[in-house]
Amino acid sequence: MKTNEKSQQQNKKSDKKQKDILEILKTYGAKIYDDLDNGQFPKFSIPSRSVSNIVYDKKLRQYVLGNSAAIRNSRNSSQLRSFTQLIWLAFFANRLTQEKKSSTLRDVYYSSQAFAIEFEDQAESDNIIVDLEAILSKPREDFHVFPEERSSIFGDLNVEYTIPGYEGKTMNLSNHPDGYSIGPSLTSAELLDTSAEIVIAIEKGGLFTRFVEEQVDKKFKSIIINTGGQAPRSTRTLLKRLHDEMKLPVIVLTDGDVYGEHIAMVIKSGSANAAHLRELTVPDAKWVGVWATDIEKFKLPTIPMTESDIKRCYDLQKDPRYQEGIWKKELDVFLRIKRKAELEAFSKYGLTNITDKYLPQKLDLAKSL
Amino acid sequence: MSSIKEQFNQISPSEFFYSNRDLAGFSNPTRSLYTAVREFVENALDACDQHGILPEVHLIIKAVDPDKPDPKSYILTVKDNGPGVDAEHIPLAFGTVLYGSKFGLKQARGMFGLGATMAILYGQITTNKPVIVKSSTDGKIQNEFEILLDIQKNKPVILKHTTKEISKNGLSVSICLEGDYSKAGTKIRDYVYETSLITPYATITFDDPKEQKFHHSRFVRDIPPPPTIIRPHPHGIDVERIRRMIVESQFEIPTIDDSMIEKVRKDLGLSKKSLGFAATMSKAKTKWKNLSRQVRVVVALMSFLKMDFEMLRKIKIEDIDVPNKKLYYWDFGDSQSKTVDMDSDSPYYKQLTNTVQGEPLTTFLTKRFQRVGPTTAIKFAEFAGFKPEKRMGTMTNQELVKLSDSLQKFEEFLSPDPSCLAPLGEEPLEKGIKKFFNPDFTAVVQRPASAYSGFPFIIEMGIAYGGDIKPGGPHVYRYANRIPLLYDEGSDVVLKVVNDTDWGRYKVKGEPPFIIVSHICSTRIPYKTAGKENVADRPEIERELRLALQFLSRKLAAYMSKKGQAEMAKKRANLYAKYVPLIAQFCTELAGKKKEPNYKKMLEEEAIVENE
Repeated sequence: MKTNEKSQQQNKKSDKKQKDILEILKTYGAKIYDDLDNGQFPKFSIPSRSVSNIVYDKKLRQYVLGNSAAIRNSRNSSQLRSFTQLIWLAFFANRLTQEKKSSTLRDVYYSSQAFAIEFEDQAESDNIIVDLEAILSKPREDFHVFPEERSSIFGDLNVEYTIPGYEGKTMNLSNHPDGYSIGPSLTSAELLDTSAEIVIAIEKGGLFTRFVEEQVDKKFKSIIINTGGQAPRSTRTLLKRLHDEMKLPVIVLTDGDVYGEHIAMVIKSGSANAAHLRELTVPDAKWVGVWATDIEKFKLPTIPMTESDIKRCYDLQKDPRYQEGIWKKELDVFLRIKRKAELEAFSKYGLTNITDKYLPQKLDLAKSL
Repeated sequence: MSSIKEQFNQISPSEFFYSNRDLAGFSNPTRSLYTAVREFVENALDACDQHGILPEVHLIIKAVDPDKPDPKSYILTVKDNGPGVDAEHIPLAFGTVLYGSKFGLKQARGMFGLGATMAILYGQITTNKPVIVKSSTDGKIQNEFEILLDIQKNKPVILKHTTKEISKNGLSVSICLEGDYSKAGTKIRDYVYETSLITPYATITFDDPKEQKFHHSRFVRDIPPPPTIIRPHPHGIDVERIRRMIVESQFEIPTIDDSMIEKVRKDLGLSKKSLGFAATMSKAKTKWKNLSRQVRVVVALMSFLKMDFEMLRKIKIEDIDVPNKKLYYWDFGDSQSKTVDMDSDSPYYKQLTNTVQGEPLTTFLTKRFQRVGPTTAIKFAEFAGFKPEKRMGTMTNQELVKLSDSLQKFEEFLSPDPSCLAPLGEEPLEKGIKKFFNPDFTAVVQRPASAYSGFPFIIEMGIAYGGDIKPGGPHVYRYANRIPLLYDEGSDVVLKVVNDTDWGRYKVKGEPPFIIVSHICSTRIPYKTAGKENVADRPEIERELRLALQFLSRKLAAYMSKKGQAEMAKKRANLYAKYVPLIAQFCTELAGKKKEPNYKKMLEEEAIVENE
C-alpha cells in the first residue's frame, strides 16, 4: 500500500514535470502568436552563453550564466533563420513531450528536414537545442532529447516507467547482472523505492562488473552506477534524482588521475558547458578516490603523467572549485608526483582487494568527508 | 686601310616609308587591312567634320577572288559625302607621300593625311594595282583618276583621268591590297561599331567580303563645333620651333632689283622724275609715314650708302652688320666688295636694326603665342632674365636654349586654349552609350580642358552598368580624337587608371556588366607607338583620367548602393515571406490555437516601409 501511495505521488511529480515544460512552451508560443497577430515581429531574449557570461556561483557551488542576454529578433533578417529554427525546435519539443517520444540530437537534426527547416549541419542544430535549454532553463532531457552514450545502473531500486507503452510497468534494477542502461525510459521513470543507503558511481565498466560480481550492492547496501568516463547528462540527472528524491548520498570512484578527479567534480558541480542548467549537479556528492595520496599510501603501480595530464592540472588550478579541500590538495599531489594510477591497479593485491579492503575504508571515510 | 667610300644618297619619303612600313601599321596582311580601313574612314570623317557636313561613310571590302584562301587580294573602297578634293590636287594628294592639308595645330583624327598614302603605297606594293580616286567638289562633275606612285621619285603617275556628270559631291577612294579578312574581320567590325559610338552624327555602312552588311545610322543630328587652328602655347615649344618662328618673324632685307627700285620710286612719287640723293632723302622724309616697311628699308640703306637710284642699280647689298655698324655691298662697276660705316645716331639705323634683329621679345610672345598678354610677356622677360625689348634676331644659341627652358618653366601662362579641340560633348556621348548598351545606369562627364607640355587636351568619359552589357567588366572602350583604339590595350594609360581602381570601394563586385568609354581629345595624342593604338601615361593626362573616372565611379557607387538597398529590401521581403509563415505555423500549435495569426498585413506593411 505504501509503495502504491508513493508511486502515485511520484507519478504526479512526473506529470508535473511534463506539465511544466508544456506550460512554458505554450507561454512562449502564445507570446509569439500574439505578436504576429498584432502585426509585430516577435522576439525574445536568450541568456548569453559566451565565456564572459559564465561565472562560478559559490552558493550554488556550480557555474551559472551571468545577466547578459541576447535578443533574437525575427525582424532582423540575419537572425530570422535561427529564430525560425528555434521556434521549430520548441514546436518539435512540444510534440515530443506531449507524445512522450524520445529523440536524440541527431534525430532532431534530421527531423528538421520534414518541416522545411534547414540546418547547415548537426552542429547548428545542436546549438539551437542548447539555446532552447538556456531559454527554458531546462535540460533537453526534459523535452525528450536524450544523449546517445549510455551508462548503466545496478541495485535494488524499483522504478515505474512513464514512457508510452510501459506506463505503470515496474522494474527492480537488480534483476539483471549486467545492469540496466540509463536511457530515456529510465531517466523519465518514477523512482519508487529502494533498500540501498548509498549510490556508488564508478568511472569504469570493468569495475562496475566486478562490483556486481562481488555483490557490492548487497554488502554495502548500494546502488552501483557506471558513468562510462565523463558522466552523461541523463546519468547526472539520475544521480541527482537518487540524491534528492531517494535521499541517498552519492560517492564517486574514479581513476587516480586528474581526469578522474574532474569526472567527480562535474558530477558534484556541473560543467561550464551546462552553466545554463541547474538540475544536473549533486553538490553533496563525494569523491572518495583514487586520490593522489592513495597512490602513495597503497603503493599502487603507477604510470607517469603525460604532458597533457600536467597541463590539465595547471588548468584546473585556475578553476575556482579547486581552490580548497581535497580538490586542491589532491591536485597539488598529482602535480608533485607527476604519476597516475588506474582503479585496476588494486588488482596487484588480488582481484577483490578493491572491494574487500579499499572500498570499505573509503565508505567509512566518506562519512567524515 | 679601307678604301671604301661611303655613299650618302638622299632617299625620297616614299622610299623611306616603303622600307619602314611596319612603323605605320602595315606589318602584315591582317594589320594592314585594318589600318587601311582606318586611314580611309578617318580621312572621310575628318573631311566632313571640317566642313560641317553630317558624314555618310560607306566602306566596302571585296575579295578579288573569293575562293582563294587568306591572305589574298581585296578591293577596299571608302566613299563619303564630304567636300571632295579639287582635280588639280588629286594626283599630288594621292600619289605622293607627305602631301596633305592637315598641317596646323588643331584636333583631327590623323595628322597629315599620311596614313592614307601609306595605305595606297602598301596596296601598290602588294598588288601592283593603282589607286582609283573619284571626287566631286561641286556635285556636278566627277573627276576619276587612276594613279600609281613612283616610289623613287615620290611622284604620281597618272594612268587615266576621266570626268563625268554626277549628282552628289564627295570622295571615293579605292585600292587593291593584300589582306587577311578572316583574321582582321573582327577588329574591322569592332572598329566600325566603336567608331559609330563616338561619331553618333555619322552614318556608317560596311559591306564586308562575306556579303554581310553592317549599318549604323546617325542618331544625333548636331555636329560638334569644328575646332579652330590656333597659335602654339609657350609650354609646348622647343628650341627648334622657336628658331623657325624667329625666321618667320624677321623681315628679310629686300632684294634691290629693278622692280623694287621702280616700286620705291613710285611710292615716293618719283616715277617720272629723277632726283639726286639729297632730294630723294628729303622727299622720303615728307612721305615717311605712308611708306611700307620694304620701302623704308631701301630708303634707310640709301641714306647710309649715300646713293641715288642710278647708283643703287649698280650694287648688291651683301650684309648688314648691325652690332659693328657696318654695311657691306658689292660694286658691280669695280667688281669688288665695299664697306660703309653706319651712324648709329641716325634714325635710319634704328629702322635697319628693327628689320634685321626682328621683333622685341615681348612682341614676339604676344603676337606668336596663344593667350600671352603684354603684362605676362613683361613678367616672363623678367623671369627668364631677358630685357623685354631684347630683339629676337640677336639671340645666341645659348640664349635660345635659356628662352626655351624658361618658356617651359614659367607658370603664369594661361592654360592652353582648348578652342582647337573638338570633344564630342556629354549629351551625344550619353545618347551613344544608351543606344549601344541600353544600360540601367549611365553617367558621363567632360573634364575642363587641361594641358600637357603645352598641348591642350580634354577628357570625356562615360560609364554604364547593367542592361544589355555583358558581364565580366569593366569593358573599356578607348578613343583618342574620335578614333577607337583597339590594339595594344595592355600598356595604355586608360587601362592603367581603370586597373588601379579598387572597384570594391564603389560597390562594384564580381564580374559586373559594366563599361567605360574614355575619349581623349588633344592637338597631339601622346601615342606610345606610331601605330596609334595606345596612349602614353603622361602624368597630366593620367590625373585627368583619374578625376573623371573617380567622379563617375562615385555616381555609380551611389546607384549601386541604391540598387543594393533595393535588392536587400527584396531579399529581406523574400526572407520574411519564407520564414514568417513557418513561425506562424509552429507558434499556432505551440500556443494551442486553431487558427493561424494574421501576419499577412505585417508582411505587406514591411514591403512598403522598405520601398520608401
